[in-house]
Amino acid sequence: MNLLQRLQQANYNSTAISAGANISHTQLIAQALQLRQQYPALQHQAIALSYTDLSTFTCALLAFDGWCRALYLLPDNTLKLPEQVICWPENTPAGTATPTAEPTHWYLATSGTTGTPKWIAHSFTSLSRAAKASVQSAALHWALCYQPSRFAGLQVLLQSLLSGAVITDCSSGDAQQRFNLMLQHSVNAVSATPSLWRQLLMTAQLSTLPLQQITLGGEIADQPLLDTLAVLFPTARLLHIYASTEAGVGFAVADKRAGFPASWLNQRHSNLLLKIDANQHLWLKPPQQPDTGLASDADSDGYLDSSDLVSIVQDRVIFLGRASGVINVGGNKVHPEQVEQVLLQYPAVRQAKVYAKASSVLGQLVIADIVVDTGTDSKALQAQLVRHCQQQLERYQLPARFNIVSSLATNATGKLSRKADVKEHHE
Amino acid sequence: MELEHTIRQTLDQVAIIANCQLIDNINDDTVLLQSGLDSLGFAMLVAQLEEDLGIDPFSQLQIAVYPRTFAEFVGVYRQTLANGN
Repeated sequence: MNLLQRLQQANYNSTAISAGANISHTQLIAQALQLRQQYPALQHQAIALSYTDLSTFTCALLAFDGWCRALYLLPDNTLKLPEQVICWPENTPAGTATPTAEPTHWYLATSGTTGTPKWIAHSFTSLSRAAKASVQSAALHWALCYQPSRFAGLQVLLQSLLSGAVITDCSSGDAQQRFNLMLQHSVNAVSATPSLWRQLLMTAQLSTLPLQQITLGGEIADQPLLDTLAVLFPTARLLHIYASTEAGVGFAVADKRAGFPASWLNQRHSNLLLKIDANQHLWLKPPQQPDTGLASDADSDGYLDSSDLVSIVQDRVIFLGRASGVINVGGNKVHPEQVEQVLLQYPAVRQAKVYAKASSVLGQLVIADIVVDTGTDSKALQAQLVRHCQQQLERYQLPARFNIVSSLATNATGKLSRKADVKEHHE
Repeated sequence: MELEHTIRQTLDQVAIIANCQLIDNINDDTVLLQSGLDSLGFAMLVAQLEEDLGIDPFSQLQIAVYPRTFAEFVGVYRQTLANGN
């Protein structure tokens, strides 16, 4: 069953999207059917959707899932598409086609392991697996805090749609603006990164929201933050989500404690099998073959390497960070190599090593150790490097500090040693 | 006063590194979220103060003391230093 059929079957008679004007589930369905009539030539085609506003985007998802061969959800950055696609609605040809029973492939962009984004294929069935419908979930009013063209945002949107809840787009603006929108729309369910939760706490008004559902994802959820939210909202359901793009699966932890119970390693949990290897990598075995491109990476028992580093502390498995050294600055992934390349462009910089420093505000920050030409005026150089980086990098990629060091350790293969970079994130 | 001076100095340095445009005349009542320092700048400020002062009050913080204004922010550091953390 596709997304539109699921909503038609659910037959919700309530508001679906709360924005300037409210849009009901019934109106969404009617508008989606109208879009199909308007664009018959899009059947069987691969199309790309950009995000403009939540109503348009949601209508397009409803119309084109089960109608088109492939849906590429374009993130905000420009990303090369792997095949000939039609960018809806600008470039849509006229014509007719015959209906298809083939399920639509949904493509979502990930930041990839090397910094080069890649497209991962999903199906509506796999994307909607985590969405649960119940009387309680139908009474929720979600704030959408992530871009819906990304995995995390799409999960929130589908959960809201399929459970008959209401959703309001709070994905742009600073923390205060987002909070104001939440308050204005009486939001009672929020899914956000730990970094955004900390900023929302800084408004000192968060407790005025009647939160029933609190979800943390996209970064490691630390115990002080979980404790703070649990004290503030004692009756709310408080979940932190672990999702692995590498394995295409994830799970939720509901006991208000960081990490997950070590007992899950010995038994099936959320349809997953979990294990830790000698290098402290967490491996996951999904219930069925992963969607695409991932199956070849599985070990002989069918487990996939999440590339997330973990350690067992008493009865918990605690997340330490990414094995690849990828830095997570408030939910934004920073590839150390990319920042190092920018630093090395600067003439006086001979060697550069970029790594994460734990941050109580944004999870992690970027730090750069550099080896410079002898006789360089270090104070002037720092100021010049700051400007150089600001011209070449996104803000979240900017090093918070440049340490001038005399040498950098390399390993046996002559590569920069990154082993010491992973520091325990939790107290 | 010395602590506030250190924090102000660090704030100015961090605004340059994080590419934030601070508002003029930050005073005790300035709301942090409206100071021109965004979340990245704020994270860098806390990280740099940890280097300078040897403490990070936010690493173990509970909601009761989340600072909203500049004066409250300075107060959190003053109190953490006084508690000998």
